[in-house]
Amino acid sequence: MIAALLIALVVLYFRKLRSKLADRIIVALLFGAAVVFLIAASRLFFYVAIPGLVFVVLLILSRMRELEQRSTILVRELALLRADAERRATRT
Amino acid sequence: MPDFCTANTSIFVIIPAFNEGRVLHQTAAPLIAAGYTVVVVDDGSTDNTLAVLRGLPITVLRHAVNLGQGAALQTGMDYALGHGAAMAVHFDADGQHPADAIPALVEPICCGLADVALGSRFLHPIDAARTPVARRIVLRIGIIVSGLFTGLWLSDTHNGFRALSRTALRKIQLRENGFAHATEILEQIRREHLRYVEVPAAICYSAYSRKKGQPLWNSFNIVFDLVTERLFR
Repeated sequence: MIAALLIALVVLYFRKLRSKLADRIIVALLFGAAVVFLIAASRLFFYVAIPGLVFVVLLILSRMRELEQRSTILVRELALLRADAERRATRT
Repeated sequence: MPDFCTANTSIFVIIPAFNEGRVLHQTAAPLIAAGYTVVVVDDGSTDNTLAVLRGLPITVLRHAVNLGQGAALQTGMDYALGHGAAMAVHFDADGQHPADAIPALVEPICCGLADVALGSRFLHPIDAARTPVARRIVLRIGIIVSGLFTGLWLSDTHNGFRALSRTALRKIQLRENGFAHATEILEQIRREHLRYVEVPAAICYSAYSRKKGQPLWNSFNIVFDLVTERLFR
């Protein structure tokens, strides 16, 4: 039940609520809580560290996709420009 | 019937190619002979793909680095749209689609019955029997996965042989660089309310195309791409 709720929250966050500031606040909160629980030697550390790690992995994945999309646009644009330039050169 | 259906030059055949130098000339030759406008998208090949195409009356678009089949198709579609194509045909580089199957594929679009025509190897039992058993099983699973993701239940969702009208070219924008584009196209067909039809399309499997084709474990990559795309859209 809790796992399903967490997944739903993650999906909702990444699809609707995400912003750069929110990303940073969540990571800072999770990190801060993990440090506090670690110092206190509390078992709660694992309840914070594991979702925190998953969250960071998702952030990295999302960043990778974003970069991939940007490079795709560049490569595609370059291919089209090069073809047009070659076509013009052949005509002249 | 619209005028462009009489002129093959207004039909742009887009061939995404990655290291297909061995067979690409053979694949392109019948298309050129039939008078289609052939657009090869060289997706960062490192073999002699470019060399074998030199001198042929075709357009070659070159990706500086390898991006994937979906990205190559979108580059070809952008080119087709910008150069007055009436429709575009996706055509695999490994020669598994016969060039003489194109008229039957584009006919529903010419007649104004559909915006997208999707080739299917499972509409005729003879075509289905030609597909290797292991691939048939994976493709069946692919149909279920695609159906769940897109809401479109087709007989063959990962067939690279399809035709798109100009309207569809304008509306479909692939974001999936890899093989997940096949499912993404279906999703966009549904989202954009494009009319579609499945057309029987035999696939001629050769030793080369079997070796070059998608490895079966690639299905996992496709599902992963689809899930992450939905999450980060």
